[in-house]
Amino acid sequence: MAEQLFYFFIYPGMLFAGIIGIIFAWADRKVTARVQFRQGPPVLQPFYDFIKLLLVKETILPKNGSVIFFLLAPVLGLFGATAAAVIILMPALGLTSGFRGDIIVLFYLLAIPTLMFIVGALASGNPLSSVGASREIKMVLSYELSFILIIAGVILKSEMTLQLNEIMALQQSQGAFIASLSGIVMFIAALVVIQGKAGMVPFDMAEAETELAEGIFMEYSGTAYAIIKYTKYILLFILPVFIAEIFLGGLHFEGIHILWSILKVLLVLVLMILIRNTNPRLKIGQAMRFYLLWINLLVIAGLVLHYIGI
Amino acid sequence: MINDLNIIVCLPIVAGIIIFLLPDAFRILKGILALAITLIFSGFAIKIFGYADALLPLVQQTGETGLLPEVTRTLEQYTVMNINSLTTIILLFVAVLAPLICLYSIYKEKNETFPSQFYSWFLITLGSSAGTVLADNLLLFLFFWGVLGYTLYKLIRQHDAQSSDAAKKTLIIVGSSDAIMIIGIGLLWNIAGTLSISELSVHTSSGPAIMAFLLLAVGSFTKAGAFPFHTWIPSYTGKAHGVSSAYMPASFDKLIGIYFLVVLCSRIFVLNQWLTLVLLILGVATIIIAVMMALIQHNYKKLLGYHAVSQVGYMVVGIALGTPLGIAAGLFHMFNNAVYKSGLFLSATTIERKTGTVDLDKTGGLASKLPLTFITALIFALSISGIPPLNGFASKWMIYQGIVDFGQQATGVASQLWIVWLALAVLGSALTLASFIKFISGIFLGRKKEIFDNIKEVSFAQWIPVILLAVICLWFGAFSTKYVVKELFMPASGSFSFFSIWDSDLLFWLVIASIIAGILIYWIGRFKNMRRAESFVGGEKAGEDKEFPVTGFYLTVKNAPGLRQIYDLAGRKWFDLYDLLKGFVLWTNKGFSYLHTGILTTYTFWVYAGFVILLLLLIL
Repeated sequence: MAEQLFYFFIYPGMLFAGIIGIIFAWADRKVTARVQFRQGPPVLQPFYDFIKLLLVKETILPKNGSVIFFLLAPVLGLFGATAAAVIILMPALGLTSGFRGDIIVLFYLLAIPTLMFIVGALASGNPLSSVGASREIKMVLSYELSFILIIAGVILKSEMTLQLNEIMALQQSQGAFIASLSGIVMFIAALVVIQGKAGMVPFDMAEAETELAEGIFMEYSGTAYAIIKYTKYILLFILPVFIAEIFLGGLHFEGIHILWSILKVLLVLVLMILIRNTNPRLKIGQAMRFYLLWINLLVIAGLVLHYIGI
Repeated sequence: MINDLNIIVCLPIVAGIIIFLLPDAFRILKGILALAITLIFSGFAIKIFGYADALLPLVQQTGETGLLPEVTRTLEQYTVMNINSLTTIILLFVAVLAPLICLYSIYKEKNETFPSQFYSWFLITLGSSAGTVLADNLLLFLFFWGVLGYTLYKLIRQHDAQSSDAAKKTLIIVGSSDAIMIIGIGLLWNIAGTLSISELSVHTSSGPAIMAFLLLAVGSFTKAGAFPFHTWIPSYTGKAHGVSSAYMPASFDKLIGIYFLVVLCSRIFVLNQWLTLVLLILGVATIIIAVMMALIQHNYKKLLGYHAVSQVGYMVVGIALGTPLGIAAGLFHMFNNAVYKSGLFLSATTIERKTGTVDLDKTGGLASKLPLTFITALIFALSISGIPPLNGFASKWMIYQGIVDFGQQATGVASQLWIVWLALAVLGSALTLASFIKFISGIFLGRKKEIFDNIKEVSFAQWIPVILLAVICLWFGAFSTKYVVKELFMPASGSFSFFSIWDSDLLFWLVIASIIAGILIYWIGRFKNMRRAESFVGGEKAGEDKEFPVTGFYLTVKNAPGLRQIYDLAGRKWFDLYDLLKGFVLWTNKGFSYLHTGILTTYTFWVYAGFVILLLLLIL
């Protein structure tokens, strides 16, 4: 049990994934700043922000909301992100004794943070948060179908296995999934889906700071908001890792492979940041149509391409 | 001689009939009596769970000297009870759920109307359910099954027009399906020459066998509430008392209906791949159609009713797969559904009692007033939405595994299409989550309304059953892969190995650890430095008029091009088999009504015309 707690809370779970995530968040801010011809923050800036929120700032609770659940929701969201992080990171780091879960469990665990953000927002009793929550849940409805189709495509490509380590082993012996046309098509779709899952522009209509003043996170402050931030850092780290694992030939931390693995993850991250910086926010109806029609068609095209062997 | 089987089948029925004699004024006494009988029932159900597989007669002959030996001998032949791992596990589930619902039902608000003679019908239902599950002969099975259809009707009827209307609809749909089943049983007798479930094994290769399967499946689909025979459930739950809904459509009808589907698919018939395909299509159609309807409901009891339908889709998908993994998953989901759905209906009853409304627009912010109800309802809601590590996730995960496993076999069209089943089942789960966010936040979260300031948490007779149901949800979720599936479901479905693995119990402990860690974080983050303030609403004054109601969440979906027309037609009952048939019958009756004009000469004419026709017939 102590070993499992270590995996969960320290490495490769909460602490480790969070710290890397914070560095990724810095990369996000830095690249964004460079795209906008600004200087950008120093490396430690996101750490300072986080520590200040966690320890210094006052937490203001909504007067007309359900306080206990308002505070509990971020914690459960962090749990979902951490559990997903452990399952995603363990095979990449070569750990085999930790808790096991397959790609479908992962799909559900990755939905928990978003769900808890929504429920927390609704618990605050703020109408603008409700608008954000309504948008977020519609986002979930839109991208989850594409996401499961992509996962089904990966299962199909990996000869019907659900285990992440087997999917990676197969790619190491037979070549990365992205090395085929169907793989490229599905990778593009997956990139768009995790963009939505991470709530980054152009799919940030649930937060929409210029319009809803952070929407679902509007009422959060202090420690509770620090936990939400931390969850988002973890997601920013594990989502690119996940995509790299299932499409880019897996990750492998040994010898020269370390460099390749890091480059793969950074490639996905940079792509995400560039999409974020070159697109305006969509309206929720547009986003729903985009996922439910175009992205699904793209994934289905990928599945068809796989069936005809390209 | 009285044996355990007599007690489990006959005791509740006889007690139910005796309780008819007590007037409804002694309601609490009747309730306590019913609870005692239910507990005795449960005790014997647990005892029977330990039995070895056997075929035992319900009426046992005790030597030739007994009264009417011939009659007893015949009875012995027809009342064989089938004790096997499938029937005993269903019986056990019945025994777990019945006392909890019975305990909840004892409390009654002053001006609340229960169906009359509630406990008599409750007990008769209990005995008949046991009879249905255990009966080996299909005729005896059909007898108990028919009784269940009638008690269903009696358990909804209160003294108002609306519930009577729903009761009528239920009776007509369920009754017709029973009639269709009789034809199926007739066909089966014709094909196999026996009606004993333990001896039947019919290949669905010939036309009559396929027909018999489909006719019997209609009965199972109607009782469990699968598309396209599901329409009675939302009407029922929308109008009936919440306790009735928790008892019948939410739990017992699922247990019995799905039990029969398992018997059909894995015992009586051997399915061919096309029937599997049909069942899978109906399964996913049930999931998606019902949940799409649930998404737009404003009445939370009706919303739950649509979910009682939608979840059946998962069970049908699991059982249709035909593999031991699929069947175990279907059964597991059946029990999980019975637990959280009856829990949800009981919570809904509490909410209706406390607020006096079933409209999601009028409730809100009750979490702080009804904390226990909130936490349990949240567990049920997360469970039904399939959030790990709760039980709803455990069984859905098994169903997904079953689908992938089925796809791997690549034996026919149905298994080639595994991605379709997987994607639609997962989409259904996301839609379920969406509509339960509406349920939870519409009732418990959001801004608290001033009219609810005086609400108090319910008394212990009401929260104990609900908490126990929630504990079952947690426990079955946490120990699903390690214990529950292996010990309870594997004997009934046949042994199998998991396709892949996850550690449900560990995840459960980690949730607990996370919550503790969360409390610590808040403690470090200066717990005392928290203060409460009015919400910021973009500079305007916050108030009840500034609400964004949850019922408005899915207007985008409702008004989406394509969906709007479908919802519109659904609103006009275009897809309701009952209303379609009703329209047809009324339309044909229109022709007859021209003949019934009330004018004497017309009638005289018909009388004479009849005479002439008869005369002609006799002469020719």
